[in-house]
Amino acid sequence: MVDSTRRRIVQGSLAAAGASALGLPLRTALAQSGEIVIGAAPPITGVFAFAGAAFQSAFLDWTEWKNAQGGIAGRKIRYVAEDSGYKTDQAVAIFKKIMANEKPPVFYGDSTGWAKAIAAEVTQLGSVLTSGPSFSSDLADPQKVPYYFMAGPTYSGMIEILLEYVRREAKGAAKPSVALVYSDTEFGRDPIAAAKSTAAKLGIPVALEVVTKPGGVDVSAEVIKLRRAKPDYVIFHGYVLAPIPEFLKQMREAGMKTVGMGTIWSMDKSTIDKMGAVGDGFVGVMPYRYVFDSQKTPAMELIREVGSKKGGTAWQTLFYTHAWLVGSIFAEVISRTLGGYKELNGPNLKAALESIDKWDTGGIFGVPVSLKSHSIPVGRVYRATPSKGTIEPASDWITIG
Amino acid sequence: MRTGDYRASYAQDEALFVTPVQRAWLLALIVGLAAFPWAAGSYLTYIAVLLGIHVISATGLNIMTGYTGLISLGHAAFMGVGCYAVAYAANAGVPFWIALPLGGLASAAIGLVVGIPSLRIKGLYFAIATLAAQFVLGFVFREWEPVTGGVRGVNLPAPSLFGLAIEGDRAVYYIVVPAAVAMLVAARNLFRTRVGRAFIAIRDRDISAEVLGISLLRYKLTAFAIGSFYAGVAGGLWGYFFRAATPEAFSLGLSVFYLAAIIVGGLGSILGGILGAAFMTMVPEALRAIVAWIAPWYPPATVLLSPMREIVFGALIVGFLVFEPHGLAEMWRRVRRFFHLWPFKT
Repeated sequence: MVDSTRRRIVQGSLAAAGASALGLPLRTALAQSGEIVIGAAPPITGVFAFAGAAFQSAFLDWTEWKNAQGGIAGRKIRYVAEDSGYKTDQAVAIFKKIMANEKPPVFYGDSTGWAKAIAAEVTQLGSVLTSGPSFSSDLADPQKVPYYFMAGPTYSGMIEILLEYVRREAKGAAKPSVALVYSDTEFGRDPIAAAKSTAAKLGIPVALEVVTKPGGVDVSAEVIKLRRAKPDYVIFHGYVLAPIPEFLKQMREAGMKTVGMGTIWSMDKSTIDKMGAVGDGFVGVMPYRYVFDSQKTPAMELIREVGSKKGGTAWQTLFYTHAWLVGSIFAEVISRTLGGYKELNGPNLKAALESIDKWDTGGIFGVPVSLKSHSIPVGRVYRATPSKGTIEPASDWITIG
Repeated sequence: MRTGDYRASYAQDEALFVTPVQRAWLLALIVGLAAFPWAAGSYLTYIAVLLGIHVISATGLNIMTGYTGLISLGHAAFMGVGCYAVAYAANAGVPFWIALPLGGLASAAIGLVVGIPSLRIKGLYFAIATLAAQFVLGFVFREWEPVTGGVRGVNLPAPSLFGLAIEGDRAVYYIVVPAAVAMLVAARNLFRTRVGRAFIAIRDRDISAEVLGISLLRYKLTAFAIGSFYAGVAGGLWGYFFRAATPEAFSLGLSVFYLAAIIVGGLGSILGGILGAAFMTMVPEALRAIVAWIAPWYPPATVLLSPMREIVFGALIVGFLVFEPHGLAEMWRRVRRFFHLWPFKT
């Protein structure tokens, strides 16, 4: 017993001395051993549960697959998560608990509220890089929120992509007009000021701006306003599904030819399918390729293979693709940090994140991506035909900024 | 075994804690509370701070609803008023020890206005009036952008004392817990005064109270102002704790949370407010800890069991209401009585 302990001490000392001799600080040598923990507080229950369960499945499947591939830089990954219920105080509690018990270098939260609530603490800790499902423009600010990144464009960026699509689609001298319809929530209002500024820059008139209650379904008065304004496109933001189908139905009944447009959380196939025939012709911005895209790419084929092996339908959703991509970015950032023989701490992980340039995501994005203000300003416009169950690309991949 | 409650002087009669055993427990509690953040990790300290804020707010609602009989469904909005007032003051450079009472006073002022309908309507009708206040104030939080920051909310600077920033859960704990203790002692004493007893008289039978010479106008509004003051201070502490004030934080759901807390804990009991807030804060955490404990052995447990957690939590609340309508405070009293009379049968 004593011998084996002594032997271990001698071996440890020799390893440390060897590491020092090679120019590696001892702490780096220590940082490069043991498993890597990924912490998360996905919203498995609550109003965002439809996405949270898919996030959870994706992280579990991705972790299992990545470990089967040897982990990150030879180190196994352990995924530790608890349900946030989409409540900020609970998500913050989970963050603190997992940070205290597991000290993960990366953490996935559940909302804009969570990211804002922990921003000061994360900056103070300087030990963890965070991400989440929020694409709030407020969070794409490396000065104020240095350790948060989003796996896609900001909501403002998404609307910019839609407006760029509108500009490209314009025929003749007259620019088509748009209307902005958004919910009276932080999520809904987030990109509106930037959207109006971008529209002005592109010379696209904003014919009308409509604010609705978050859960409102009676949209008759708003549709009358739209009918008077006669926009060519209506951009809906701040909703998942309702009241978009009601708007589309009443607009169609009013004989309007206006095209409905949506942003990421309205663009999952299950959501689009619920629109029914009134959703035919609905277009929207998606940062990622759909898993059923006719163009086969390595990453999407991998998601299909891993997901279908597990069963269920979660892998077919954009939420699954989103979480898979976040896992891949975590792995890339950790791998770059360890590859540079650096400690897994906030500043090093942030530097590794910011070094991502023209990165090939294996086809999740259709083009190599670079980070801009800790967001990925790339997306593509898709056109849905729910009556036939199809969502087809309506544009090429658009990079903004 | 205690054989009686013997008080030989007015000082003893006025004391909150009469027996040496009670005073020893109180001392142990104070020492325990003071040492807690050093013994517990950051997670438990965070939960303790959150619990402290919930206790203050639940006590405020208990003063209004439990003691005076004025059902309020707008308590979260009063917290919001306090939070935004503190945020505004803090960003204007007002120190936290002035900003916090200011937040409470701002909330009390709004509470006075909202309490006015209580003179003409009561019971569920009054509850609907306070519900309207919840929505009106929620609208103000979202729309009064120069003050509240609109839907994006507003950030607060860290509180500071003598130039030292009070940052981190442990430091905030030493603001929240003393504030909670002071406000609990104040509430306990309130119901030993004419004002507090007037509240109880109004709750039990307002017409009889008026016949006895209690001014309903004065005391109902006072109850509302005091309860709102508690909510405002809790809201201000919430703001300093999360360093942000957003409209979504002060939703109707939070008002219902506090109402559930005082009903589960025990209406008209200071201890009930504490136990109710603890129940509503700790039980979801405990249930989540059980799911997290199972997850390493069975990874899909998080997805499969998380929705069950909500059902179990709801069932526990219903169970307590069915089997102990007087709340957790009454259960606690029974447990104490058992030990007071032990080894004899209670």
